[in-house]
Amino acid sequence: MGIFFSKMFSSVFGNKEARILVLGLDNAGKTTILYRLQMGEVVSTIPTIGFNVETVQYNNIKFQVWDLGGQTSIRPYWRCYFPNTQAIIYVVDSSDTDRLMIAKDEFHAILEEEELRGAIVLVFANKQDLPGALDDVAVTEALELHKIKNRQWTIFKTSAIKGEGLFEGLDWLSNTLKSGGG
Amino acid sequence: MSGHDSKYFSTTKKGEIPELKEELNSQYKDKRKDAVKKVIAAMTVGKDVSSLFTDVVNCMQTENLELKKLVYLYLINYAKSQPDLAILAVNTFVKDSQDPNPLIRALAVRTMGCIRVDKITEYLCDPLQRCLKDDDPYVRKTAAICVAKLYDINAELVEDRGFLESVKDLISDNNPMVVANAVAALTEIQDNSIRPVFEITSHTLSKLLTALNECTEWGQVFILDALSRYKAADAREAENIVERVTPRLQHANCAVVLSAVKMILQQMELITSTDVVRNLCKKMAPPLVTLLSAEPEIQYVALRNINLIVQRRPTILAHEIKVFFCKYNDPIYVKMEKLEIMIKLASDRNIDQVLLEFKEYATEVDVDFVRKAVRAIGRCAIKLERAAERCISVLLELIKIKVNYVVQEAIIVIKDIFRRYPNTYESIIATLCESLDTLDEPEAKASMIWIIGEYAERIDNADELLESFLESFPEEPAQVQLQLLTATVKLFLKKPTEGPQQMIQVVLNNATVETDNPDLRDRAYIYWRLLSTDPEAAKDIVLAEKPVISDDSNLLDSSLLDELLANIATLSSVYHKPPETFVTRVKATAQKTEDDEYAEGSEAGYPESSAHSADGPTSPPTSSSNDAHVGATRPAPAPSTSPPAAPVPDLMGDLLGMSNNSIVPVDQPSTTPGPPLPVLLPASTGQGLQISAQLKGQDGQIFYSLLFENNSQIPLDGFMIQFNKNSLGLAAAGPLQVPQLQPGTSVAILLPMVLFQNMSAGPPSSLLQVAVKNNQQPVWYFNDKISLHVFFTEDGRMERGSFLETWRSLPDSNEITKDLPGITVNGVESTLDRLVESNMFFIAKRKHSNQDVFYFSAKIPRGVAFLIELTTVVGTPGVKCAIKTPNPEMAPLFFEAIETLLKS
Repeated sequence: MGIFFSKMFSSVFGNKEARILVLGLDNAGKTTILYRLQMGEVVSTIPTIGFNVETVQYNNIKFQVWDLGGQTSIRPYWRCYFPNTQAIIYVVDSSDTDRLMIAKDEFHAILEEEELRGAIVLVFANKQDLPGALDDVAVTEALELHKIKNRQWTIFKTSAIKGEGLFEGLDWLSNTLKSGGG
Repeated sequence: MSGHDSKYFSTTKKGEIPELKEELNSQYKDKRKDAVKKVIAAMTVGKDVSSLFTDVVNCMQTENLELKKLVYLYLINYAKSQPDLAILAVNTFVKDSQDPNPLIRALAVRTMGCIRVDKITEYLCDPLQRCLKDDDPYVRKTAAICVAKLYDINAELVEDRGFLESVKDLISDNNPMVVANAVAALTEIQDNSIRPVFEITSHTLSKLLTALNECTEWGQVFILDALSRYKAADAREAENIVERVTPRLQHANCAVVLSAVKMILQQMELITSTDVVRNLCKKMAPPLVTLLSAEPEIQYVALRNINLIVQRRPTILAHEIKVFFCKYNDPIYVKMEKLEIMIKLASDRNIDQVLLEFKEYATEVDVDFVRKAVRAIGRCAIKLERAAERCISVLLELIKIKVNYVVQEAIIVIKDIFRRYPNTYESIIATLCESLDTLDEPEAKASMIWIIGEYAERIDNADELLESFLESFPEEPAQVQLQLLTATVKLFLKKPTEGPQQMIQVVLNNATVETDNPDLRDRAYIYWRLLSTDPEAAKDIVLAEKPVISDDSNLLDSSLLDELLANIATLSSVYHKPPETFVTRVKATAQKTEDDEYAEGSEAGYPESSAHSADGPTSPPTSSSNDAHVGATRPAPAPSTSPPAAPVPDLMGDLLGMSNNSIVPVDQPSTTPGPPLPVLLPASTGQGLQISAQLKGQDGQIFYSLLFENNSQIPLDGFMIQFNKNSLGLAAAGPLQVPQLQPGTSVAILLPMVLFQNMSAGPPSSLLQVAVKNNQQPVWYFNDKISLHVFFTEDGRMERGSFLETWRSLPDSNEITKDLPGITVNGVESTLDRLVESNMFFIAKRKHSNQDVFYFSAKIPRGVAFLIELTTVVGTPGVKCAIKTPNPEMAPLFFEAIETLLKS
C-alpha cells in the first residue's frame, strides 16, 4: 500500500516542488518550524528580517518552503510571494492570547487574496509546550476558522521545540495536495 | 488543470520582463540561474530591470556560489532604487555571514557594505560585528573595509557600535593582510572625519613595521602611506623607522617605491644627522632612476613626483641628470617633464652637458618642445650666473639658424637675461635687431620693444625701429601696445629730440583717444600728466633702476611643497595641486568641545579675553550649503589701532538714539525690549565688529535676534548670514537686511527663521554654528546654543486623561531622568506662570512625602511631545526632572532648556 502510494506521488509531482508559504505573526515560531522540518533539530533563531527558503523532502514530495518574516514592517511584502503557492502554513503562537486578534485579522486578509485562492491552509497552533497555551479548538474559535469556505483547511496542535504535530501536518499537506486539493 | 488553461487568456502578450519574471520563479535551478544571468546582462547594458527585485532576491538563498554572486551584484545595483524591498535581503545576509564557507561570509559582508540603504544599515551591524572577529583572515579583512564603507553611510552608527575600536584591534592582528586592510580602512575613515580617529602609537608602529614586510604589495602601500603621516618622537625613532622601511625601495611595484620614498622624505625632516641624511639620499636615487625605465605613463607619474622631490632635496638626484636626458622616442609629455627636471638639476658642474642637450632639442621638430628647450636655456642662464655667458652664446647660435619660432623664443628669454644681469650682455642687441622683421608673436614683439626702449641710448636707430612698429599700433595686441607706449616714453626721455617728440604724440593720442582698453588709457594718461607737469620727475620714475629678477624655476612655495610632498604617489602630486582643490569630501561637522565653557561664558556676560576668543574660530565647517564659508580665511588678529571694544550698550537706548539706523522692514515685528543679548562675536575677535545674538520665539514664529555694533574705523556693508546644518534644521527665512553700518553705530535685527531646512545627521546637539560676512572683513564664525524652550508651541497643552494615556503608552526606555542640583523652585505660582509663558503647560501636582511633584506637557514643531515630571522640595535646592517622549534622543536638549527656564 505504502509503496503504491509513493509511486503515485512521484507520478503526480515528478521532480516538481510544492511551493509552501509559512506565514504568521512575529515570534510565532515559523523559522524554528522550518528548520525542525528540514534538519530535524531545534536551531536558535533571531527575528527573520526577510525570508528563509529551504527544500524539505517528505513522503517523497519535495516541498519548497518559504518562511517569511512576521514583523509588522515585513508583512506588506508577503504578497510578493503569493503567486504559484499551493499551500499556506499559518503559524499561531497559542500562548500569545493578546495578539490572537491580530493573528486572526492577518489570517483572513491573506485568505482574501486572489492569488492564493487555490491554496490549501494548514494552521499550526504552535507553542503547545508553554503553559497557558490554547488548544486547537480554542485557536480554531479565535481565528474563526469555521468561516473558511471553498478551501481545504485543518489545524494541528504543535510544539516546534518538542517536534510534536509537525509531521502530522505535513502528512495532511502531502495527502491533500496529492488528491488535487491544490 | 483549469488554472493551466486560464493563462492562455490572461497572458497572451508577454514582454521581456514578464518572461524573465516567470523564469526567475521557475521550479528548476538551472533555469533560475540562467534567468538571473539574463537579468544581469540586461542591467549591464542599461535596461531597467529593477521591477524584478523581489524575484531576483528570492534566488539569493542558494548553494550555488555563482548564482549568489550574481544576485549580490544585482542587489548592489538596485537596492538604492528599491529601498523598501531591500529589507527582504537582510535575513539572507545574516545567514550568509554565518556560512561555513569563508568566501561566502566575506562576500556577504562586502556586499552589505555596498548597499547604501539607511533602512537596512542597522540590521547589518550584528553580522559585521561577528565578521570582524571571524576566524578567517579573509573575512576579517573584508569586514575592516566594510567598516570604512559603513562610516561613509552612517558615521555615528560606526562609533556607537564600537566598530572603530574593533578595527583598531585588527591592527594588532597576526595576519599581515588584515593589518594592511585595517590600516586602509582607518585611513579612509580619518580622511572623512575631523576628529583624530587613527593615530599611530609606538605599539601600533611596531605592529605596522612587522606587517609591512609580510603583506602584499598593495597592503604595503597602505601601511607606508599611514607611516608617512606618523610624527616620530625624535630623530632616533625616525631613523629606526626609516631603516626598517628602506628595503621597500627595492620593490618591483612602483607604487610601493614611491610610497616608501614619501615616507622616508617625511621622516627625514626630523633627522638631524647630516651623515644619515646624505646616506638616505644616496639610497633613494637608484629606485627613482629605475622608475624611469618603466612605461611612459609611469615615467610621467614618476617625473611629476621627482619634480617635487628635487625641489626639496636636490642632492638625491644631483648626479643623475643624465637619466633625464630626453630620448628621441619619448612621448612629448615625458620630454616636457624631463626638461623641467633638467633645469632644476642644472648646476655649474653639469651645465656644459646640459646646454649641449638643450641645443640639440632646439633643433627638433616638435615646436612646443623646441620652445621649451630654448626657454630652458634662458632659465639656466638666469639660475647659474657663471654659466650665463655660455647660455647666451648658445642662444645666439640658435638665433643664427633663423628658425622663426626659435628666434622669437630666444628674444623672450634674452629680455629676462637682461633683467637678471643688467649692463652685461648688451653687446648682443645688434644681433637681435637683425631679426626684427621676423617677429610676429605678441610676447616676442613686446620683449623686443622693451629691449629697444630700455637700451634706446645705445641703439643708434632706436627711433626708426620703434617707428616701424608704431605704424601698426592700433592693430597690435594689448601686450604690445603697452610695451610700445612705455618704450616710446623711455625713448623720448632719453632722446628728447624732434623725432621722438612726434612719436610720443602719436602714441599718446592712439593710447588715449583711439583705444577702448582702460589699462592702456590709464597708463597713457599717467605718462602724459607726468611728462606735462614735471619731465624730470618722469625721468626719475620711468627710467628708475629696476630690481634684479631671480630664477623662477622653483615655482612652488614652501608650504604648498610640504603639502604636496606629503601626498607623493597620489593624484595630488601628479597635478601639483593640494587634494582639497579637486576632491570634495564632506567632513562631519566638528563636535565642539568648548560647549561647556561656552555656557559659562554666556552667564558671565562674555569677558573679552575668554578662552573662546583666544582660540579663534573653530575650523570652518565644510558644509556644501554654506556658500559663505567657501574661501574663508581665519580672521587676522584685530589690528592694534582698533578702539577698545565698547561695553554692551543698553539696547533700548541704542534703538531710541539711532532709529534711523535700525531700519527693520515694516512687515517684521519690531524688537521687543528684553535683557541684553549675549555677545557671540566680541569686537576684539571681529576686528571691531561685535555681534550679539539669541534665538527668540514670538507669536509662534522663531526669530534670530541680532545686534551688530561697528567699533571699527570703516563703514561695513553687504552683511550676509549663514547657518551650518544643525539638529533642528534652523535656517534664515530670508536674506539678512542690514543697512550700511557706520563706525561707532549699531543696528538691531530680527531675522525670521525657518525650521527643518538644513538638518544635520547624528544625535541632536544644541550647537548652532553661524557665519556672518560683510564686504570689508573676512568671514566671522561663531557658535550659539539652540535653546529648545524657544520652540515650544502653543498647542502643547494636554488634557489630564490624554497625558496619563500617553505616559503609559510610551515604553519605560523612553523615560529619561536628570537631576538639576543647582536649581531652587521658590514660588510655585510664579514658576508655573513663567513656564506657561514659555508654552510649558501645567497638568497636575501631587505630594509625595515631603516633596512636590509637578506634571507638565510641552510640544515642539513636528508634534514631538514631552511629558515632564518635576520633583522638588519647594525652597530647597535640587530639582529632579523626568521626561517621557517618543523622541528620547532630544532629551539632552530638553534638559538644557528646562534648566534655563527654571533659572531665569
